[in-house]
Amino acid sequence: MNIKISALMLGVMYLGVPFFLGDNDYLIGLVASALIIAGVAVAWALLGNLGGMVSFGHAAFFGVGAYTSAVLTMDYGVPVFVALVVGGVGASLSSIFMMPALRLRGPYFALAILAYAEIFKILATEATGLTGGAGGLLSIPSLPVFAGVDFGTKLGGYIVILNIVTLMLITYYFIRRSSYGLALKAMHDSELATRIVGVPATYLKVVMLLVSAFMTGAVGAFNAHYINFLEPDYAFSGTWTVFPIVAAIFGGYRTLSGPVLGALFIYLVDQLVFKNLIPQGHQLILGVMLAGMIILSPSGLLPVITNLFTRKKADNKRGEAQHA
Amino acid sequence: MKFLGLSGFIGCALGLALGVGFSAPAHSANFVIGEHTPLSGKLARVGTGSHRGVMTGIKVLNDKYAGQHTFELKTIDDESSPAKAVSAVEKLASEGVIAFSGGYASGVIGPASEAANKANIPYITFGGVATALSQRGHEGFFRINSAAGYGKALVGLVDEMALKSVSIAYSNKEATHKMAGYIEKKLNEKGLKVSTHEYDAHVKDFKSIVNKIKLRDRSEAIVMVGYESEYVGILRAAKLLKPDVKAMIGVWSLATGKMAKEFPDLMENVYGTAMLPFPVSFNSPKQKLFYEAFKTNFKDEPSYLEQFGYVQTRLLGEAIVRAFDKNELNLKGIADELRKTDEETISGRVRFDEHGDNPEFVQRVGQHQKGKIPLVWPASSKTGEKVFPGTPWQ
Amino acid sequence: MELTAQAIFTGLLMGGFYGLVAVGLALVFGTMKVINLAHGELVLLAAYIAYAVESQTGINPLLAMPIAMAVVIAASLITFYLTNKIKKDRELNSLILTFGLGIVLTNGLLMVFSADIYSTQSAWFMEGLVIADSLFSMRSEMLAFVVGLCALGGLYWWLNHTWHGRAIRSVSSNRDAAKLMGMNPTKAELWSWAIAGVLAALAGVMLYVTSVIHPPIGHSLTIKAFIITVLAGMGSIPGVLVGALMIGVIEGLTTTFFQSSLSELASMTVFLLVLLVMPSGLFGKKAGH
Repeated sequence: MNIKISALMLGVMYLGVPFFLGDNDYLIGLVASALIIAGVAVAWALLGNLGGMVSFGHAAFFGVGAYTSAVLTMDYGVPVFVALVVGGVGASLSSIFMMPALRLRGPYFALAILAYAEIFKILATEATGLTGGAGGLLSIPSLPVFAGVDFGTKLGGYIVILNIVTLMLITYYFIRRSSYGLALKAMHDSELATRIVGVPATYLKVVMLLVSAFMTGAVGAFNAHYINFLEPDYAFSGTWTVFPIVAAIFGGYRTLSGPVLGALFIYLVDQLVFKNLIPQGHQLILGVMLAGMIILSPSGLLPVITNLFTRKKADNKRGEAQHA
Repeated sequence: MKFLGLSGFIGCALGLALGVGFSAPAHSANFVIGEHTPLSGKLARVGTGSHRGVMTGIKVLNDKYAGQHTFELKTIDDESSPAKAVSAVEKLASEGVIAFSGGYASGVIGPASEAANKANIPYITFGGVATALSQRGHEGFFRINSAAGYGKALVGLVDEMALKSVSIAYSNKEATHKMAGYIEKKLNEKGLKVSTHEYDAHVKDFKSIVNKIKLRDRSEAIVMVGYESEYVGILRAAKLLKPDVKAMIGVWSLATGKMAKEFPDLMENVYGTAMLPFPVSFNSPKQKLFYEAFKTNFKDEPSYLEQFGYVQTRLLGEAIVRAFDKNELNLKGIADELRKTDEETISGRVRFDEHGDNPEFVQRVGQHQKGKIPLVWPASSKTGEKVFPGTPWQ
Repeated sequence: MELTAQAIFTGLLMGGFYGLVAVGLALVFGTMKVINLAHGELVLLAAYIAYAVESQTGINPLLAMPIAMAVVIAASLITFYLTNKIKKDRELNSLILTFGLGIVLTNGLLMVFSADIYSTQSAWFMEGLVIADSLFSMRSEMLAFVVGLCALGGLYWWLNHTWHGRAIRSVSSNRDAAKLMGMNPTKAELWSWAIAGVLAALAGVMLYVTSVIHPPIGHSLTIKAFIITVLAGMGSIPGVLVGALMIGVIEGLTTTFFQSSLSELASMTVFLLVLLVMPSGLFGKKAGH
């Protein structure tokens, strides 16, 4: 069911969105911004779902990826698409500093990662020579023309971030199916039991952290070239942590496509509907909706949709049976 | 547009037919101006001020061209976020705005004006002082103020005071960081001993900073580069610790009527950049025009934010009307007309160089004195004498 | 020397206030394992009520305390009621829920009070208090410190010496056992949220008289509060006091010997070190590991 929804979603994103919205920069831009949140949300959910670690500091990876890529392209002339990948690697490397926190549990781990994110932000502000400090970096190169396609346009950017998110989903899917995934799931249920059976829990957690950091870093790098601007306050903003978490939980963080659907839904509904209802302070409705969702459907949006589908299917079947 | 052309044609035809010299408007049009500004998020305070200025500008334009043209403003809250500002610009562009007036913070203005440039729509602002903004070769990018204008005023004032040492306390934000760097450099060149103290906007206690200035730097003046809540924090700490300084000087957001009213006990003798004294004896017709229009909408005293927002919008509106009259209502037409601007506004003289920057921009300095803020620098615009040495606790 | 003394003094005063902000969060965290991400906003709500009362009536903002308490207790109990409705995965889902409520509060305050900055008009609070000719503070800062210490002390006493307090403690150390002993855990939790509301109201009014308020600061208060809570270890009141004073002093010293913008870095680093070396906090039982 889940994989079907993912496939359907990607189909719509690849074919439907460019076809219907392709010439509307505003709407394409909104969907692309939502996908940026979605990318981080998937990375966060991977760590949360497979690694059993709830992070409050994904902004750290986002920021490190963004700065790595921006500095490489601006000061060292590295091609943008290469820099996106290196941005991910940079974020992975930065996650090594966080390894000691892996022995912490639950909220303690979450808060430790938050502290790391704050520390990274302050370091980026103080390392003026490298990052431009609080003054920030303007005119970061846009996505380039590649194979005759200008990725610097809104639609081009959209395609790139969509590809990034799709690759992430595929990776997520295969990790989950692999023996790693099984071990991780077992670990999630009982770490002690897995240790006794001989699965190296810490090793698995380390790998998941590296992967999640890489993904987030790449998305952060993309955003830097998409917005063409960075300052520490922006690159390491708590928004990059909070919104993805909200999106993931909203969509259903234990599912594959939940985080993406959640991000799209929250971002688009907020910007297209609520903002028109209350031009200033529309986030208020978002807050209400979030709270309501957690209480009424705690496992997220996806189960609601899934239920809807299955019920419909069941209804149809019943209908068919009656006809027959 | 077609319809407008037609009605214009009929108007002309009527005029001709009557054969008398009454000047019926040849054309009339509704000009839609777009604005993105932070009405929520961390920049909400300044964004709201700027927004009121833009609204006042639109009102004055509508009054001036009543019966002829109308101006309409479409505003979107950019939530202090670059991505949302870009979305706002794109949305407004798709709704057919012909120019943008607004924006705050270089990091938001950068991407937003980039989007405006892509949509071939001119963009005028006062909210970002990063030099790089005007160096991107955008034909339609204009800015009525500059970092140098603020910096020059402060450096000029300090120079006039003949001080030997200064401590700068500044917020580690984009604009304040750059401004502090500029002031430090210029004062160093003049041979002053300069100490700097960087703080984070979250800091709640400024006593430790002021105490360092008092006991270690022993500077003759404190320059504050930050925003309202931080000024209040620093001034309170200074009033408590009473460092032996001759002057407390701030940049923007300080020499305002609002601060004089809200914090009378803290502001006495404090300097800040300002264009007009407070309470403004809005004497000249231009000033009166602004003040009265502002007062009809808001029961408040206008600050520099409102003034700048007003000036940029009015200049833009005038350029739009001129471009329209020449049948050149497009990016090039409006940009060309803006570039021809050379006017003494309520925020000083404005003209634009080839980058869209205003080389004439100079700030003046006001000093809080018993609930009023006379201008005390430069000598040519003085409306009062400075109390020097003078601090809130002396 | 004089500098250092003042830095430590300032830090201690600040720490007292931080403790007051954090202790409500710690209490709820202790009893319910819920981190209330709207706690800072509750504090800010109280501060705005103090502003509203002062600006409307002109009376001393401290007299706004009863109203502030009533409103904030109500808000706190609503949060409790909603949190209690969460059926599964409460540790995680409550974060999202309270985060959402925080957004509602911040934006509600923005709509009602605009983004302007406010501070008390009463000059009395800002007057200087000088100890031994060299230690400076504002009256309001000393007041906030004393209120903070009293609140923490009072709470400690209440938790250890009253029936309700003991109920809360037993629920927090072992919910099931407490239930078997015939206690009603929900009632104990309700009490802890109500008390958290009282503490937030105290902190908010103190915030208003010592400092300048505007909508975004609620969030940074929350972060400071839960850092101290974790530093303290599972809802330990002495831990909150020690953690808060420690953070305050570290910030003061960093500002004095390095620069103010690094003070957050220093407190975060210490927080991390403590957490990694003593995962259950300074005064915690083996809960974090």
